Amino acid sequence: MAYASASRRLLNLPPSQRVTFFTSTRGFSVLNRPPPNYEGHVPLNVFERGALAAGSAVMSLLNPRRGDLIAALGETTATPYFIYRLRDAMLCNPTGRRILRDRPRITSKSMSVEKLRALPENTVGQAYMDWLDREGVSPDTRDSVKYIDNEECAYVMQRYRESHDFYHALTGLPVFVEGEVALKAFEFANTLLPMTGLSLFAVTRMKPAERSRFWHTYLPWAIGNGLKSKEVINVYWEEELERDVADLRAELGLERPPDLRDTRKTLREQRKTAKEKSEKMSGLMADSP
Amino acid sequence: MAVGNPSKALSPYICSSCSRSLKLRSRKFATAASPDIYDVVCVGGGPAGLSLLTALRSSKATSHLSLALVESQDLDRAQKWHLPPDQYSNRASSLTPSSQSFLSQIGAWSHIDTSRVQPYQHMRVWDGLSSTSRISFDSPAPEPAIAHMTENQNIIRALLARLDSLEPISLLDKTSITDIHLGPPPSSPAPEHASLNLSSYPHVTLSSKHTIAARLLVGADGLNSPVRTFAGIQTRGWDYDRHGVVATLKLSSESSHNPENPRGVTAYQRFLPTGPIALLALPGPYASLVWTTTPTQAARLKSLNIEDFIATVNAAFRLSVVDLDYMFTLSSGQLSELQWRESVSPNTSAEANGDIPAYVTSVQESSIASFPLRLRHASSYTTHRTALIGDAAHTIHPLAGQGLNMGLADSKSLASAVEYAITHGADTGSEMNCLDKYNIDMWMRNNRLLGAVDKLHWLYSVKSGPVVPFRGVGLRAVDALGDLGLKRWFMRQAGGL
Repeated sequence: MAYASASRRLLNLPPSQRVTFFTSTRGFSVLNRPPPNYEGHVPLNVFERGALAAGSAVMSLLNPRRGDLIAALGETTATPYFIYRLRDAMLCNPTGRRILRDRPRITSKSMSVEKLRALPENTVGQAYMDWLDREGVSPDTRDSVKYIDNEECAYVMQRYRESHDFYHALTGLPVFVEGEVALKAFEFANTLLPMTGLSLFAVTRMKPAERSRFWHTYLPWAIGNGLKSKEVINVYWEEELERDVADLRAELGLERPPDLRDTRKTLREQRKTAKEKSEKMSGLMADSP
Repeated sequence: MAVGNPSKALSPYICSSCSRSLKLRSRKFATAASPDIYDVVCVGGGPAGLSLLTALRSSKATSHLSLALVESQDLDRAQKWHLPPDQYSNRASSLTPSSQSFLSQIGAWSHIDTSRVQPYQHMRVWDGLSSTSRISFDSPAPEPAIAHMTENQNIIRALLARLDSLEPISLLDKTSITDIHLGPPPSSPAPEHASLNLSSYPHVTLSSKHTIAARLLVGADGLNSPVRTFAGIQTRGWDYDRHGVVATLKLSSESSHNPENPRGVTAYQRFLPTGPIALLALPGPYASLVWTTTPTQAARLKSLNIEDFIATVNAAFRLSVVDLDYMFTLSSGQLSELQWRESVSPNTSAEANGDIPAYVTSVQESSIASFPLRLRHASSYTTHRTALIGDAAHTIHPLAGQGLNMGLADSKSLASAVEYAITHGADTGSEMNCLDKYNIDMWMRNNRLLGAVDKLHWLYSVKSGPVVPFRGVGLRAVDALGDLGLKRWFMRQAGGL
């Protein structure tokens, strides 16, 4: 009798207390989806979240250019725990708190091209501008977060996504798969977001030479620097534009990895000259009687 | 009235003719050197000591004993203690039902100023690291309250008033102890008119150069007890590296602990990794704060301006531990941090359910104080002709609010042991015939409580790792299994319901 009433009480607990490890996801059926917590929010239940995560993981592996799928994978795997951890890392830091208070957005409006171009050499802003020019991208190419339930955590995800280009600029890593995977490995060690770790599966798609470069050069760099440097999410990029980029790197405790574009270029040239040489050699051989 | 005559002190044990002859002798041979002998000398006039004397005086069997109280403070001031109804002392305690019934039994409860007593019916306790792990206690139907909050001064004043209404005892207040030693060995061969053999009686030399001898010397003299030192009793324990910050607070008018609230009055406690913070209701919109925290955080709290202090206390019941830790790194501006965090993650539902206390709106002037926290336990409470009660015997972490209640329970037990000895014609100072009963009764019980509270402290000071979810599940399980009587068992342990 007493046991029955106790078990009844357990079942009568509000769902938020019953499902303790998914505090952010209240159970609901697709027929009564709760109202969004912020503009653009799409509330998902646990099964939808899981399905979306699995689907986007598979599809983005097949086609790494699908930024939208990578974004969805990032959002659906960030809860539970990981995005809260990143938010708390920001809350522990004075600058991180200021970012959360001000909630600045990085767009082509806030980062005006003219202003960036006017900055002197070796500044963070100039490095960012150089990087945008070299890679041919714009700050506006970022999707809005929609699958994270907590409104503040959604901003943290957004901030991570918008700061991503600055990480490229800071490290000088390019946007093609090899550079991207190296940067994701760095981000995984630094932010612990699961998507950045899952992105490392893209290593399977790389050429053998790239793969060996990744294992021997870029992964050790990424793990070492990601762990020992400060949390890069706490950089208020808007305020650091005029700062010397080497100075900022030193403050964060970050080393620049070998320039991937240069490496690839030299290797390509070496290959080309080697090929030419061998062609010449074979031509000479053919010519000789 | 000081009872300076040994014959009167011994009258219960010696037949009247012998006693008369003794009186004659003592009249004849008493010199300035021979001390006054008391049945019980109590050192320390806190709640424990005063309640012991009151219990002895108000029991029929022990009311005739000659009693003396040695206290360094001015007891007159304690008796005349008065505060206006909008001011409360920062040293308040939660009296459990068993303490309360002891106080009524010895006739002191009727002298308590009940306008300064606040009963509470509910308790909300939760984990700072997982806000869903909470436990709530409600007073069971026949009991009107879980416990009563009141100021220690109110209890002391009531005990003094009750003592005043009884046969007088020797109040040696504003008097400190310069020495405690045993009486001189009996002169041998014993002359015909030998005085009593007082070699086993503790002799207390007072700052007034006067010496009194005790059949039973009771140490109710606090943490650094001189009586304990005299008795050679060891204490064991450790310092917690934590300070208790206390303050008297005023809450907003829509306070959930408003006495007119039909839902009753609630006490709140949140376990933060640095230590628990508790808000206990005093009458009206007032409440008593006990915040256990690290010495650095305690120093920070005391250095804040009033506005930021209030904001930090409000934050401690509302914000995440991360936010709170950050607020402690600031020397000012806690208020704006609280406002911002509350706007980002409001606590509206917890507020409406009464799961968190109402907002603190002001702090009583100069009521913020702090003290270091320790665990101490005497290896025994008694030796021949000495007994320890209250803080002299044990010092406990305040998280369960048991310190004062344990002292009162000691008094009750010791008084009943003395009563038993008297009614059976035994020597009240003898360990075997009297004091062992008290030691056996209380030592293990107090040791269990000290241990349990100590373990709770360590359990909740864990910041991360598997302990955090497990303790959350444990707390929720106890909460959910309340119907099985588990909660009532806990409450019985804590409150003697």
